[in-house]
Order: sequence, then C-alpha cells, then structure tokens
Amino acid sequence: MILTGAEIEREVGRSRIVIDPFQPTQIEPNSYGFGLSPHLIVYHDEVLDARRAPAARSLELSGEGAILEPGTLYLGSTVERLGSPHYAATLYARRSVSTMGMWIQYSAPLGHMGAVICWTLEIRVAHPVVVYPNMLIGKIAFWAVSGRAIPYRGRYRGSVTTVASRLADHDEEAE
Amino acid sequence: MTVILTGPEIVSQHRKRRILIDPFDENAVNPNSYNFRLGDRLKVYDSFPVDPKVPNSCSEIEVPRGGYVLEAHRLYLAHTLEQLGSPYYAPTFAARSSVARLGLFINLSASLGDIGFFGQWTLQLFPAHPVRLYPGMRIGQMMWWQPVGEIAIYDGKYQGSKGPTSTLIHRDFEVREPDGVEVVG
Repeated sequence: MILTGAEIEREVGRSRIVIDPFQPTQIEPNSYGFGLSPHLIVYHDEVLDARRAPAARSLELSGEGAILEPGTLYLGSTVERLGSPHYAATLYARRSVSTMGMWIQYSAPLGHMGAVICWTLEIRVAHPVVVYPNMLIGKIAFWAVSGRAIPYRGRYRGSVTTVASRLADHDEEAE
Repeated sequence: MTVILTGPEIVSQHRKRRILIDPFDENAVNPNSYNFRLGDRLKVYDSFPVDPKVPNSCSEIEVPRGGYVLEAHRLYLAHTLEQLGSPYYAPTFAARSSVARLGLFINLSASLGDIGFFGQWTLQLFPAHPVRLYPGMRIGQMMWWQPVGEIAIYDGKYQGSKGPTSTLIHRDFEVREPDGVEVVG
C-alpha cells in the first residue's frame, strides 16, 4: 500500500521515516516533494566502462541556475536525506518538471528500504532546460511492505551528496 | 491486503463512482489497469531554453485522423482523451507495452499521480525514432493503488486539466523562492 501524505507526515513525526530537512508544505496527497541539490556531476569519459570507476567532473549550480543540454547525462541529488527502514521508496519527477522536458531518473525508480540518503538522480533533458538550486524537482512515495525486513548494506549507504556510479567497486556485495 | 487494483475491481470501483473514467469502456480494462486513449491535440515548446521561472511559450498541433508523425528525440505534450482520477486510490500510469515497443516514452520518469486529481492527463511523448500516432489510439494504461492513512484530496494547479497542459512551474517560484523562503505571492 502507498502512504498518503498525512501518513508520511505522521511517520516522520514518529521517526519511522526520515526526511531531513522536512517542510510540511512539501507534503503531497501520496508523496513528498524533494528539492535539487546544487551539486551536479557530469561524466567526461567518452566510453563508460562498467568495470572502471568513471571519470567525472563537478558542476555547482549558482543562484542564477544553469542550462542543461540534451544529449548529456547529469547526475544530481536530492537536497534532503530521505528514507525509511520500514517502507520501500520510489522516486519520480514532478509533473511540472517532466512537462518541461526533463527526466530525473533512468528506469530506476525503486529505492531500497533502509537506505536513508540523499538520492542521486539521473537527469536528462529533451531540449535545453534551466535548473535552479533547491528547486522542487521530484517526489518520493513510500510503500508498506510484506515480509521480514533486511537492512540496506549497499554501496550507496550514507550518501550525502551526488554519487557517481560505483558499479566497478568489487569489494562490496552486489546489489 | 489490497495493493494494486485488478481490472474487475477497477470496474466495480467505477460503478461505485470511487474511480472516475469518462468516457468509460469496459473493453479497455486489463488485468491490473485501464487503457486510456490519445487525445487529438499536441503541444510543443517553441522557445528554448525552457525556464521554470517564467511562462514558456508553446504551439499547438492538431492530430489529424490520418495520423501525425512525431520526430525522434523531440518532446510533445499530449493528453488523454478520457478524464480519469479517484478520490480513494493513488494512480500511476505507464505506456502500453505495445506502444513502448515502438520506442515511445509517454512520461519522463513521472508515472505517479495524486489521489483526488481528476481531469485529462498530460502525457510527455518522446520518441526514440519517428513514429506516426493516431487520435483515439489506446496509448497508455492507468493503475490504481490502495493507500494507507488519512486522505487529503489533490488541490494543485493542474486540477481539472483539459488538453495538453504545459508546465505551470513558474507559479511555484511566485510563492516559494528557491531557497525555501516563503514570499507572499
């Protein structure tokens, strides 16, 4: 079952869902609206190798914003730390953002229960689009689960900013 | 524990007016979803970059009965022919798999709707290669999910939308500065 906005707020109050910082005005009927952090990453390898850590450069958004160009993958991150050891999460673009011609993830909407992190977003645009730091960009939904819970021990635990792909890290368990 | 509604449950909830689909066609019911149709109007942005702080100008395209060819890698805002929504269940929508197999996105990572929204949904069409679409074709599917918790009905800026609706995100900046400071607007 998907949590309503009121239920998300109640669970935040009981510390069963973490949303930090939390703004009650960002509660939606069945999700919570999150912001875009100013820290973006762009890969500059011509070919990304699934077995090697990708070379990446940082791009900091200033208050004037920046124009994102089609054909480039930008990694971004949520402003907020979000997650819950009790609920599974899914992340989406807001309708106001997707109708501007912008994706915030690439066919990977599911967040593991137990991951309480700043979520890295995979941003792509259909045509040039301006983005501003902290603008509301997406929404996270929480889902009740069935079955015994196991803790999240993945390679992105503890993320507090935008994190490039760590697929090439072999020292941690597979996800 | 009900999670996603089955097709027969969508029919039953529609009869009870707890799910609204207008016009409704029982033949469009799937095992876990309802197939919606493509309306006859498209909208494209005609000035770039698209800037969320200001209204962005668009042109409208009528989709003729003989179809209209979408260019690859271009965004077209479209709309569902039906008005759909529910004050009781959370909606998500997806392309029909037959449409996805033509290389067409119908939304850009934005499949979750809101409890209580009712109107024609704006689709974000983005083709991988040129594709001809026809008005009235069954293009996507709506699913409904049982919520847990107290329900507050959607009362956002898109309530009751008709036709393809371009972003109204500039209104957010009128009431909420990007740094989170509330400004009376």
